[in-house]
Formats: sequence, C-alpha cells, structure tokens
Amino acid sequence: MTIKNNKCKHCEIILQSNQTDFCCLGCQNAYQIINQLGLNNYYNSRINNESNHNLKPDLKNNLLLDDFVEKNGVNHNISLLVQGLNCGACVWLIEKILNDDPRVINARINLTKKILNLSFLGKKTEINDILAIIEKIGYKLLPYDQEIINSEEKKYNDSLLKALAVSGFGSGNIMLFSFALWFCDANEMGIAMHQFFQFISALIGLPVLIYSSRIFFKSAYNSLINHRPNMDLPISLAIVLASIVSVYQAFKGGNHVYFDSALMLVFFLLIGKYLDMKARKKAFNIATQFTLLNRNYARIIDQENIKIIPIKNIAKGMIVMVSTGDKIVCDGIVIEGESEIDMSLINGETRLTKVSIGSEVYAGTINMFQPIKVKVNKQANQSMLAQIIELINNADHKKSSSILLAEKLSSYYTPLVHLIAFLTFILWYFIFKKSFDYSLMNATAVLIITCPCALALAIPIVNTITISGFINKKLLIKNGEAIEKVNQIKTIIFDKTGTLTNGAVNLIKIYLLDADKLIEVKESKKKYYLKIAASLTQNSNHPIAKAISTQSKEFYQNLHVIEEKSLGLSAKIAGNLIDHQANQNIEIKIGRADFCKINNANYYQQLLLELHNYQPVLTSFMKIGEEQIVMVFQDQIKNDAGDVIAKLKQQGKEIILLSGDQKNAVEIVANKLQINQFYYQKTVLEKAQFIESFIKQKKPFMMIGDGINDAPSLSLATVSISFNNASDLSKNIADVIINSNQLQPILDLFLGSKKAIKIIKQNLAIALIYNLIAIPFAIIGMIVPMIAAIAMSSSSLMVIINSIRINKFFNLDKNKCQF
Amino acid sequence: MSVLIFLIPLALILSIIGLLAFSWCLKNKQYDDLEGSSKRILFDDDKDQKK
Repeated sequence: MTIKNNKCKHCEIILQSNQTDFCCLGCQNAYQIINQLGLNNYYNSRINNESNHNLKPDLKNNLLLDDFVEKNGVNHNISLLVQGLNCGACVWLIEKILNDDPRVINARINLTKKILNLSFLGKKTEINDILAIIEKIGYKLLPYDQEIINSEEKKYNDSLLKALAVSGFGSGNIMLFSFALWFCDANEMGIAMHQFFQFISALIGLPVLIYSSRIFFKSAYNSLINHRPNMDLPISLAIVLASIVSVYQAFKGGNHVYFDSALMLVFFLLIGKYLDMKARKKAFNIATQFTLLNRNYARIIDQENIKIIPIKNIAKGMIVMVSTGDKIVCDGIVIEGESEIDMSLINGETRLTKVSIGSEVYAGTINMFQPIKVKVNKQANQSMLAQIIELINNADHKKSSSILLAEKLSSYYTPLVHLIAFLTFILWYFIFKKSFDYSLMNATAVLIITCPCALALAIPIVNTITISGFINKKLLIKNGEAIEKVNQIKTIIFDKTGTLTNGAVNLIKIYLLDADKLIEVKESKKKYYLKIAASLTQNSNHPIAKAISTQSKEFYQNLHVIEEKSLGLSAKIAGNLIDHQANQNIEIKIGRADFCKINNANYYQQLLLELHNYQPVLTSFMKIGEEQIVMVFQDQIKNDAGDVIAKLKQQGKEIILLSGDQKNAVEIVANKLQINQFYYQKTVLEKAQFIESFIKQKKPFMMIGDGINDAPSLSLATVSISFNNASDLSKNIADVIINSNQLQPILDLFLGSKKAIKIIKQNLAIALIYNLIAIPFAIIGMIVPMIAAIAMSSSSLMVIINSIRINKFFNLDKNKCQF
Repeated sequence: MSVLIFLIPLALILSIIGLLAFSWCLKNKQYDDLEGSSKRILFDDDKDQKK
C-alpha cells in the first residue's frame, strides 16, 4: 500500500499544511534508520491503521534497563513488553534489527503477549545501547516483571492442552474397535475376537482415561472437601464406575464395554474447558498489558548517581526522584522541592495537595508540578498501600457469596442422579432378581447417560463466546462468574473521580480580565486564544499544559518557549502573526498568577461567583502583551455519564455515589447526574464499612471504581468494575475492566449478560430434557454403548449450536466475534 | 483376519507417534504464540536469521 502524502511517513499522523513527509524530527530519524538498514520493506508490509500513531518516537526518553537484566551463564537475558507492536511487520523489523546486532544471541517476540525475549553477550549495560535503536524507531520498551507471568497458570494451560490431545487420541482410536463391537456381537465375530477387541479397548481406554481425567478428579475431590459438590463430581464418578464395570465385563467376556462413551465424554468436556481457558486468557493478557504500562521502576539517588531500579527493590532510607507527571512509588517525606500532588487515586479528591520539604507523601499519588526528592520512610510492607492490600486480603472471606447456577444445579442434580442409579440396581437385583452383572450394567448405564456432558458444556461454552464478544465491546471479563452475577445486581455503587468524571483536568472556560472585570470570551475569540496558548504548551508534560494543547488543532511553529520550573511558560511572538496591532515582538506568558504578574485582587471572588455551578476548579493565567486572560479547568463528568445513569435507573437499578472527595464537589456531580444517594469524604476504611453493611443485608451489588481507595470496596462487591487507566491495584481486583474511558460498556455488560444467562438457561433445559427422556431407557437396560455415544454427542452438539446464537448480540455493530 | 494382529499395533504406534510429536511441540513452546507464528510464516527473507 502506498503512503498518502498527507500522512507522516513513519507514524501516519495526519500532517499539518506546513509539514512535508514527517510530523516531527523523531519520525524522520526513525524513517532514516530503517532506510539505512535496508528494511523499508517494513512500511510496505505493515498494516496501516491508527495504531501506528503510537510509533511517534519520544526523543527525551532515555531508558536504562540494565537492572532488569538477568545473568544466565555467559548470556544475559531480559524480557520486555513492547508497546506499539501490532502486526507481523513489527515483529519482523525488531527481530531483524536485533538479530543483526553481533552482541545479540537471540531476539524473539511473542506477538500474543507482546513480549520481547532477548539474550545477549557482553556487559549488562550493553543492553541500553542495543535497545536504544528500538526506542528511536518509536517502539516503547517496558521491563516485564517475571512475577507477573503466572507460571501456575501456564502449567495448568499446558496440562489441559496435553490432556485434551491425549483424550482426542484415545477417543479417535478407540472408535476403530468400538464400531466393530457396536455392530457385531460375540456370536457373529467369534468369542475370541470379541474379547480381544474389548481388551484392546481397555488397553487404550484405561491409561488415557486415567491421564486425561485427572483435572476432573482433582476438582471433584476439592469440591467434596469443601462440601460444595460441583458438576465434576458426577462426571468423575461416572468415569470411574464405567471403567471398573467395563474392565470387569472385558475379563468376564460380557456384552458391553463403556470405554468409548467415557472417553468421548472426557474429550468433549476438555474441549469446553479449553475454550473457556482460552477466552479468559485473552482477556487476562490484555489486562496484564495495562498493568505493565504503569511504570514499575523508580529513579533513586545513589552516591550522586541516578539509578533506575525496580520498585520492589526500594528500601527504607533511599532517596527517590519523582519528576513532573510521575507516580510516587513509595511512602516517604519530601526532602527537596515543592510541588502539588494529585491524591485522587488515594482519597478521591480532585483538588491538588500542596507539599513542601517535610511533607509526607504516599505511594500511588502523582506529582503534578515540580520535580521532588522523596526519602523513603517506611518499609514497603508498612506503607499505606500495603495496609490497603491487607484490607483486601481480609475482605476475602467477607465477600458476599452468591450461589451460582451451576453450583445450585449440581447440588440437586448429583445426589438425584446417584439415587436413581442406586434405585435401578435395587430394582433389578432385589425386586426382579436379575443377576448382579445385569443390575450393575443398568445402573452404570444410568450414570453414563445422565453424566452431565451437555450440562457441563452448557455454561462454559456460553461464557467463552460471551467473554470473546465482550472484548470487542471494550469489556475485559477477568472473572467468568461475573457474567452470571451481573444479572442479580440491583444496586450500583459509583466512585466519583476517574469513574463518573474523567479524572483529568479539562479546559472549560476562558475569561478576559479587564480592569477588575471578568468577561467571558466568545466562542470565535476562544479559538484565537487557544491557538496561542497551545503553541506554548504543546511540548510540555504538565497536566494543565496538556489540557490546553489537546483543545487546539492549530499551532504556531518554531516558537522559542522558555519553561520556568513550576511557574510557567513564556515565549516571544511576532505581533503581526497573531493579528495584534503592535508590529514588534510580543511577550506571551502562561502560568501562575504571580508569574504572569496578574494582580487584580477582586477577580477571584468574582470568578467563584461566576462558577458556583462548576466548583471545584483550577485556574491558570495567560498574558499576551497587556491582555490578561484567565483559563478555568475542571475535572469534568464523562460525556456519556448522564445517559448511562439515566438508562440504568430506567432499568430499575439503585444508584449510589460513594466518594472520598469534598462535599461540594460530590454534590455538584450528584445533582448533575440526578443521583439522590451520595456520600462524601469517605476514607478507604469508611468506604469498605459502607459496603459491608450491604453485604449484611444480602443485597447483591456492583461497585465501579478506579482508585486505590476503592480497591477494598471492589474486593467486597458481588461484581466489581474498573477502568484501563485505573490504579494497578483496583485493576487487579476487578472482575471486569472497561477498556476505554467511557461508561457506555456498563450498559453492554448488563445487556450481554442478560442474553448470556438466557441462553445458559435454555442450554440447561435442553440438557435436562434429554436426560429425562434417556433415563427411563437406561433403567430398563436399553441404552447400549452405541446409543449412549449418539445421545451424548447429539445433546452436546445441540447445546453448542444453541450457544453460538449469542453471537448475534455481539455482531450487531459488525464487530465480528473472534471465536 | 490375522492381518489385524499386525494392523492394530501399527495403527496404535502411528497415533502414539503423533501424540508424542504434539507433546514435543508443546514442550518447545510452539503453542505459546499462535498469533505470532501465523504471521512469521510470511516473512520472506529470513535465511540469514539466527535460529
């Protein structure tokens, strides 16, 4: 595909009129590097879409990765998460570049997990040099903490896949012999041959059954210990009994062996389990990537040197540097610098907190203004974060336990089926005085035919399709049970900051300050001021500067902007360029009031009066020559919040707002969204206590929040939801993560789950009806292995076909469900 | 029918070989990145790439 001229050749961002080929120097460099290496095939073969915008290289970022290198003999190994990786061409490019480096032994990318595994020779520090080129061409590398890779999970996945393969092998091969046994009896094929075939069946069947049913045996055993019998219990029992009876029959030269039925059962069930695992893994992988996007390293000062170390290595007494916009990673005391801290993730407050030397700061907060140095004053396990985590761990047994459909069903189904099988035996052996063999055979037939194959598939298949479908609807289901539990929800508890609001400041109004009077700037003039302001702020990382730059699409280029630490920005611009009357250079300043020399004392009272509907707000100032401009910022309510809340109310849900923020801030949001129940200034503990009162009333409820202070409440909720830009802690706990900043997916979650539960119930009905019909035939001894095999496959097939219907819901807006 | 004495073990041995090959693949992490492998096959000039 050819690259259109109006797009940047490297990152495909649409160019402005005065730019040719590239949007910035970084992209130009990247393009040249790739060309010089003779790898420009990359541009032809990559998928052209918006995700390439992320490839804009960040020239400032100089990552030191040598502390994350692990030594392995002469080699050094490192695992890194690669951001910006989105197609095969990226894999090709990175692997090609790295493998051509003589120091590199092997570089290989896992596209599913977006992980680069690299091993190289030489000194540890070489890594920074090796990888510099990858950063230069726009991919961002992040250290990948091995602890996050859950090796237990991987082991389980592999053993599941192996069991599936073995049972597939077994059930395929056993059919060679079963077919002969189904259609000929001992008289037709000769007693010796008949028994020989039965023995071969046993030879294949027994080892395969023992190997591949371990998962069910383990789960059944655990459920017995916990006194909560699950579906795996009747499955295990049927497998064990069928095997024993069949071995006995084979030795005795009896008519029927059931190895094929048992094997097919295990094979079907393992397919269900595997699909379930795959869908969950997909959601889990995406969720892990969010967690990694937050920095998990810190800069510390070590004897005059700056060193980057993993967060987990931070110890008491170390001095950590926190630059503007960075997350503070430890509890500590400020020893240098003055700044303001965004505590919203800790206490939900929108207002920034001022800190100076001697102030205490907490892990999880964000430094908004000036770089500060923090001396760590607590061991990691005593920090506030650690205490909150402990709260969560304690919450586990308090969590409202709702009984799932499958559990409810199996608690009735299992004893009932076993009772019927037992009665069948009694009926034949004691009442009709048939032989022990005959009675046992019929009882086994009952157990096999009622073995909840379709029943056990009914729920996982629907969950699998639903979880995959939800990924396209920007919902990551981390806990499959959530789909079912969502349907019980009557009450929804929202956090405010970052949940109902954007959690970041937005420019809402611009005022002209003229001789002690505030005049709101008209829409037409607003653009003019914004263009000037954005031209100054476009390269600044300050949150307020970012809020300005995102508002304007046009900029004046080549301005010499001077940034004065924590005070503001200034630049000179030719007067005629901004249609100012004066022809000489005009000074522009953006920043705090004292920096811009704005000293009209009355404006603030007036501003508060003007904005009584908007509090709390942040202000910033701009001075163009003698013009004085006040810019007002606020953490705004998400644009779809009103709509979503109204719709949820329509559905009869009770909405509660639970925030740690100040009264007026919460009140304004609650009034705007027409939420009658709101609670403010709640600490972490108070939030959790409030939630516990819900559990005591046995009301299933949903908690939606993003902050560290919400985490304990999330862990207590029946269903918990968080956002992709939330704190790591709440993302780890939440059952569902919304993969966007919007609230709309919540409605989809309710709708999709409702559909899913409907189909699950239909599936269960199909499976039960099939059982009801089959049981009488089994009791009277008419179910021979062939009939059992046909009945089992057909009922499973029906359940699967019925489940696929749920795709209709997810295909509504042409997002094809990848299943 | 005596040919069965020969054919049955043969059939079983062949499928066991298949099964072993699968578990070898699994052990060598060939199932870890299905997405990447499907793209990797399209790289056309990887003759000088190291293993």
